[in-house]
Amino acid sequence: MAEAALPLPTVRELTILRKARRFLAELRDAVVQAATSMVSHKLRATLTIAGISIGIMAVIIIFMVEAGMQSSFKKQLNTLGPNTLFVHKWKWGSGNDWWKYKNRPNVTTLDWHALAGNTRLPVAIAPIVNTNAVVAYGVKEVKNVDTRGTTDGYLDATGWTVKRGRFLSELDYELGSDVCVIGADLEDAFFKNQEPLGHELRVGSTMRCTVVGTFVRKGNAFGQSQDLRIVIPLSAFLRNFGTKRGLVIAVVAPEGKVRETEDEVVAVMRNARRLGPEQEDTFSVNRQDKLLEGFNQTMMATNITGILVGVITALVAGIGIMNILLVSVKERTREIGIRRALGARRSSILMQFLCEAVMVSLVGGFAGIALGAGAAALIDAVTPLAASVDPRVVLGGVVGSFFLGATFGLWPAMTAAFLHPIEALRYE
Amino acid sequence: MAMALIELDHIVKTYDLGLSKVPALRDIHFSIERGEFVAIVGQSGSGKSTLMNIIGCLDVPTEGHYRLGGRDVGDLSDDELADVRNLEIGFIFQSFQLLPRASALENVELPLIYRGVSKKERRERAIQALEIVQLADRMTHRPAELSGGQRQRVAIARALVTQPSLLLADEPTGNLDSRTGEDIVQLFLELHQKGNTIILVTHEPKLAARCPRAVRIVDGLVIADGPGRAVAMANAEALGAEAVAQLLAAQQATEVQRHG
Repeated sequence: MAEAALPLPTVRELTILRKARRFLAELRDAVVQAATSMVSHKLRATLTIAGISIGIMAVIIIFMVEAGMQSSFKKQLNTLGPNTLFVHKWKWGSGNDWWKYKNRPNVTTLDWHALAGNTRLPVAIAPIVNTNAVVAYGVKEVKNVDTRGTTDGYLDATGWTVKRGRFLSELDYELGSDVCVIGADLEDAFFKNQEPLGHELRVGSTMRCTVVGTFVRKGNAFGQSQDLRIVIPLSAFLRNFGTKRGLVIAVVAPEGKVRETEDEVVAVMRNARRLGPEQEDTFSVNRQDKLLEGFNQTMMATNITGILVGVITALVAGIGIMNILLVSVKERTREIGIRRALGARRSSILMQFLCEAVMVSLVGGFAGIALGAGAAALIDAVTPLAASVDPRVVLGGVVGSFFLGATFGLWPAMTAAFLHPIEALRYE
Repeated sequence: MAMALIELDHIVKTYDLGLSKVPALRDIHFSIERGEFVAIVGQSGSGKSTLMNIIGCLDVPTEGHYRLGGRDVGDLSDDELADVRNLEIGFIFQSFQLLPRASALENVELPLIYRGVSKKERRERAIQALEIVQLADRMTHRPAELSGGQRQRVAIARALVTQPSLLLADEPTGNLDSRTGEDIVQLFLELHQKGNTIILVTHEPKLAARCPRAVRIVDGLVIADGPGRAVAMANAEALGAEAVAQLLAAQQATEVQRHG
């Protein structure tokens, strides 16, 4: 039987080039077949695609909203300044153990005087107290104005800047002057195209004060305007609104010396409050990153929700793809037999059906991204959240739906590829 | 030594149905030379379809060796069998087996995809093949828009387009009326004249009688192998006078066409 092993001229062989060309021809054919299949079963394809796209849209929206919240939160935090410490009764970023801090004494002007008099490191120190009040000018009235009492250190401690006029001076505090600096929204409300400086406003029920300066517009944070505010001397605030409100003392540390400054602040505060070595602090020294920690914890929940929705979506969409593909395999059993008889290898059949799965999934993915982008535009326009579709989310959606199709299409495609050609040909 | 195109070397095929083993082919041993036109004739259940599947490399024998062009097919992997089907064999089925959504031209092009032929060349070759079966004017029609005879011509064009070593036709006239069937038989005779090797699987002695050679299969065994007419006659005699008369009439029809 030696001659049986010899390749006789009648046996034709496929060269590597031919195989490469064959692969491309098969791929092209598979894409055309998949497209034809989708077009000829519009309803079936549309339902599956709708399922995928709605799921992907949901995931995109969740991550988009989360990213929007995170970025606006960070933006606002940055206005607090990374080098600024906040001495407060409450510990920031702790939601669950508020009762620990509830009975602490308020931070008062005494604490402020102690800090101002006994610390060496801080660049600026400003006590801040705030409330919401009605502000009026003539017959015009604006409710819920963020009213703050503070001192001349405020600008350095918070990064706000004055547009026109001046800020509060040390003397204003000493004298308890009835002066104020107003935010851009308040300026717009009362002094549209008019000189604001020198006019008298009424704050709350008792106070009258003269506008001495205006702030540069700051914009929104958390969907709330920061510019609807009025800043008055701390002394005037306490006189008009009472002394029961606790202060927050903003302490600006020199660059790179936040730790040392914090230690100094703690030491001075403990000393001022006469705390023994074994006693716990009755105040907290907060930093913006602590706030971020608390925020991130809250965000984890959103994150997990997003991932969970994503997983469920992928499962539901994947089952949809699997279903549509199984039907397609069943319908085209004879076609599989024909192709196998004509020389299609198992891999050719596998590729054909995987192509269909991936195509359905990708169309769903693109539709989902489009819906997500539409939703982003809507959220951006209707709500105060700045929403936009991150290009990474788009990429993730495309790659994700590709693999979704490939994964859930694999099993039906395998059943197609491993059909016996004779049985497939006989299938009715 | 000249190698026969097809060598069936004591082929046995047994179907394992779990509880019992059913022998479909018991000991098939014959060869077919290049350029022959052979009918494999037998009743349904005789094993002729199983034999066709083995010759067509859609199935492999349980025992024995099948050599196609000198190459033992039993040694080949599934992928290699697919390649052999593509390169060596042109199938023609009773039920045509065309892709319903594809045009005649696309159907004929299909096997060339699995051979890595460029799109342009596929088209050219498919058009040529459709011209051979005289369907050049129906290229863009889908199978549903064609008559039975035309569909079978498309299928024949699809088998021819790869220029296979072997045309393997399974009851090609089975789904056609007698006149259309006759056209297809004529087409096969012409293709044979042009040098194609053809195996025609049929249960009709009439059809077998018109082939230069016929192999008769009963219960998985070859019981007659010789000129088509002689094999058919021997069987017809066993069946009775009416069968003989029918055969003679068919025979005459062939003679008339050949000389006229």
